Amino acid sequence: MNEHESIAEVLALAAAGALDAADQRRVDEHARECPTCRRELEIWSVYSLGLGRLPQPAVPAQLMERTRARVWQERAAVADRRWNELMLTALALFAWTVGLTFWFLFRVLTGGALVIMGANLVRLGTWSAVSTVLVWLTAAVAAIVLGKRRRELRRVS
Amino acid sequence: MILAAAMNPEALSGAEDAITRLKRGDPDALTAMISRYQHRLYRYLLQLVRQPATAEDLFQQTWLRVMERIGRYDARRDFEAWLFSVAHNLAVDFWRGKRGESLDADGDSSEPSRDRLAAGDPDALEQLLDFERGAILAACVHDLPAIHREVLTLRFEEDMKLEEIAEVAGIPLSTVKSRLRRALEGVRAVMAARFPGRRSV
Repeated sequence: MNEHESIAEVLALAAAGALDAADQRRVDEHARECPTCRRELEIWSVYSLGLGRLPQPAVPAQLMERTRARVWQERAAVADRRWNELMLTALALFAWTVGLTFWFLFRVLTGGALVIMGANLVRLGTWSAVSTVLVWLTAAVAAIVLGKRRRELRRVS
Repeated sequence: MILAAAMNPEALSGAEDAITRLKRGDPDALTAMISRYQHRLYRYLLQLVRQPATAEDLFQQTWLRVMERIGRYDARRDFEAWLFSVAHNLAVDFWRGKRGESLDADGDSSEPSRDRLAAGDPDALEQLLDFERGAILAACVHDLPAIHREVLTLRFEEDMKLEEIAEVAGIPLSTVKSRLRRALEGVRAVMAARFPGRRSV
């Protein structure tokens, strides 16, 4: 590829201001001597100029307000989910603590035997099974109730 | 435009301040940032997807993603390039979701853009002529594949340097150059096909 051909390859980029300083100088120097490349460079320059002045699209009305509302709505939903998860975990831990404390007290007070319907409730396995069901049910109900209350408070505010 | 903003210390420090406040979840900072970038970001997305409703949805998703990730944003990076790269990735996901297409595959001209306004000019006749010329060129750009429309809008409308375009599109600098050249040649080819006899805009 000779100099003319290699310059002709980059004329569009030269007009777009996309060449480094050395290549741009090479193009300019060649274009001064070569009428064909000069004419091509002028045409590409017109394109570049035109592309920088295209008609602008109208931004939809209320775009900013709708975007802002969607962002805060989404963030509130994420915050709610996180808060509910945190609350569920905290309540579960609290319930386990209460459950184990009561197990210890019952065990001391009943001497290690509290038989109901043939099952010794003070045995750790039975106590744990019953406690687990009660703990999760209570925590889930509490989280739902508290979550609803938070949403209502947010709506009011 | 980016260059102009970068050379304006007041605008730059204002942006930095807004980014810091955005990291703290300040609603006013979000409003300020959306207001600052809405025209350019919407224009970029519209140029990529060509459907106003989709562009608006991607615009909103971009700000949702910004709010999710602003905590991890490195202040040493150029915020504008980061913002546009978030929008670019969402547009790529949109095309992937749309029957597994990619930005490269989009080349049809199914929905011509009509919601364009002329740029301001004091002289009405000159404005009309500018609009006509601009509309012709815009129609030619509209026929190009999305990857070419993207590089043209980032270079000529957003005034981004090639390095910034590479960062936004996540491609090497050499690819940006070849893509830009092909895009320009594409515009000229479409112009020649649509308007035989016209050699320039």
